[in-house]
Amino acid sequence: MNWLIFRIGAGLLAMLTGALLGHWLGRAVIPPPWAELAGGALGIALAVLLDTLRGYRLMAWLRGGETTQTPRGGGLWGELGYRIARSLHQREQDLARERLRLTQFLRAIEASPNGVLLLDAQDQIDWCNSAAADHFTLDPQRDHRQRIANLVRAPAFVTALQQGRFDETVTFPKPGGGATLSVLLRRYGEGMKLVLSQDITDHERQEAMRRDFVANVSHEIRSPLTVLAGFVETFASLPLSEAERARVLTLMGEQTRRMQALVSDLLTLAQLEGSPRPAADHWVALDAALARIETEARSLSQGRHRISVACPAGVQLAAASAELHSAIANLVNNAVRYTPEGGCIEVDWRLLADGAGELSVSDSGIGIASEHLPRLTERFYRVDSSRSRDSGGTGLGLAIVKHVAQRHGAELDVHSEPGKGTRFRLLFPALRVRAQPAAAE
Amino acid sequence: MSEKHLSTQFDAELSAISARVLEMGGLAESQVAQAMRALADFSGELAAQMLRAEERVNLMEIEIDRDLSTIIARRQPTARDLRLLIAISKTIGNLERVGDEAARIGRAAQRLVDGGVTGRLQTAVGDVAFEASLATASLRKALDAFARLDAVKALEVIKDDNRIDQEFDGLMRTLITYMMEDPRTISASIDLVFVAKAIERIGDHAKNIAEQIIYIVKGTDVRHNSLELLESVVR
Repeated sequence: MNWLIFRIGAGLLAMLTGALLGHWLGRAVIPPPWAELAGGALGIALAVLLDTLRGYRLMAWLRGGETTQTPRGGGLWGELGYRIARSLHQREQDLARERLRLTQFLRAIEASPNGVLLLDAQDQIDWCNSAAADHFTLDPQRDHRQRIANLVRAPAFVTALQQGRFDETVTFPKPGGGATLSVLLRRYGEGMKLVLSQDITDHERQEAMRRDFVANVSHEIRSPLTVLAGFVETFASLPLSEAERARVLTLMGEQTRRMQALVSDLLTLAQLEGSPRPAADHWVALDAALARIETEARSLSQGRHRISVACPAGVQLAAASAELHSAIANLVNNAVRYTPEGGCIEVDWRLLADGAGELSVSDSGIGIASEHLPRLTERFYRVDSSRSRDSGGTGLGLAIVKHVAQRHGAELDVHSEPGKGTRFRLLFPALRVRAQPAAAE
Repeated sequence: MSEKHLSTQFDAELSAISARVLEMGGLAESQVAQAMRALADFSGELAAQMLRAEERVNLMEIEIDRDLSTIIARRQPTARDLRLLIAISKTIGNLERVGDEAARIGRAAQRLVDGGVTGRLQTAVGDVAFEASLATASLRKALDAFARLDAVKALEVIKDDNRIDQEFDGLMRTLITYMMEDPRTISASIDLVFVAKAIERIGDHAKNIAEQIIYIVKGTDVRHNSLELLESVVR
């Protein structure tokens, strides 16, 4: 309340001074009390004028924004100016803080791999992140306030939007094709809508693969069963000579082995999927494992190929030995199967500069055309179906190899030239390789 | 969609009718896509499903036409609004015909599924699918340009039409070769000729729609004019 006393005091002082001056100066000319009154009035008028000037300066500052200096000084106007300046400053800070929060929110939504799109009450595009712009082929600046249904015209989406279906996802091809979108609509605020989009192309492909897998398994099991059933019927209805019996039994044996191989591969896959990752401190001697593989390969080849296995002694891999064996054996068996008589098969181990190990299985076989390479490790994928089934493959070998590689943190890659040969490489990370003949297991 | 009017009600009507046109366009687009999928997958079921949806496009043409007459009678529009309404009237005609062409493709696909296609013609089916991808891209671009009233994009659509025509001519030559080599492929080849022609027509309809967009935006009727003149109008 200082300023109030000061203001009243200053007013009274101005009046008194005026009156005294009037009394002293006007004594001779004007009779009392007019001189004193006029002096007092003049004093008050001067005080009011000064006051108005200071108020005017404050007003000018408020009008001019931040360009002019904040009026200083004490009294009513000084304090007013100070308080206004402070509250303005406070508000600016709040605003900046809120703005920062908003940008951070938008950035977070922007970072989401899913498309987020906000619609106003007229279904016009209000805001969208870049994923949504990509999904719906929109241009966020230019299509602002454009009706979404004008640009995303897939009938399934338009119907869902018109009928306000907010609880089910809509699936439709991306405008321009090439991908499948799954879109969910949500309502928020007053009539505003949130559109969430997701690219489900990969997901759909996996679903299709799973469906194919079941169909393939039943097919693979059914065909040998059909053959077996036919033979059983023959035995039951026809009298057979000893020689015929022997032939039929051989054929039945072949089919049974085929089914056994398939079931055992399926079991291996199931085990690989179901069991925990192999320990990183269980060391397997690579030369012993490869020696076993070499024996098996020679018995499968029966002298038709030149087989060479090269591995320095003392190399150890941190692996589950059964899995490792099954992976390498699958690669080597494939090499034997798809290499014509007289070809050569090489199994080689190399330590790379960064400590990683490379196990390669190369052959001089028929090779694989490049269009098949990306799908090679899919289950039951066959480059040439008649040939691979004749040679006794189950179609699961490379799927097993890939699984084993993944579980050991290894990479599987293929180089192949049709007619010249194929080279499979398993790259084991440095962590799982050790080369010195230290005390093992 | 267009500049503000004193009557916001009029604005709302114009924007609503444009939205309906684009909805109809979306239906036509998806019909073409479905028909082509039926052909590529040799699925008679998909073709039949697509043919059942044809009704909706026809129905929408009639509804939009009726709304157009109402708006013209009540608002007596001038200048750009009048151009928009006239262009809409022509656009929906083109879209309806796109739907018809899609149905033609669907029926040909059904015949091909029933009759079977020999190995040689598979490659021709692939070529037809490529021609179709060009035409559907044109149609999509034309409709996007309509939504955004983008004359530059519309011009691109008009230019792209040449590509589709070239593709059609090439396809025709291939099919004639097949028919001469092996008369057993004639009936299937003729069906593919119909499909290719229908696709080529879809490209033409996309081009017509694009011309209407330039008419709305620039106020010049550019039909049956050289590309140079079109360039000068748009830029």
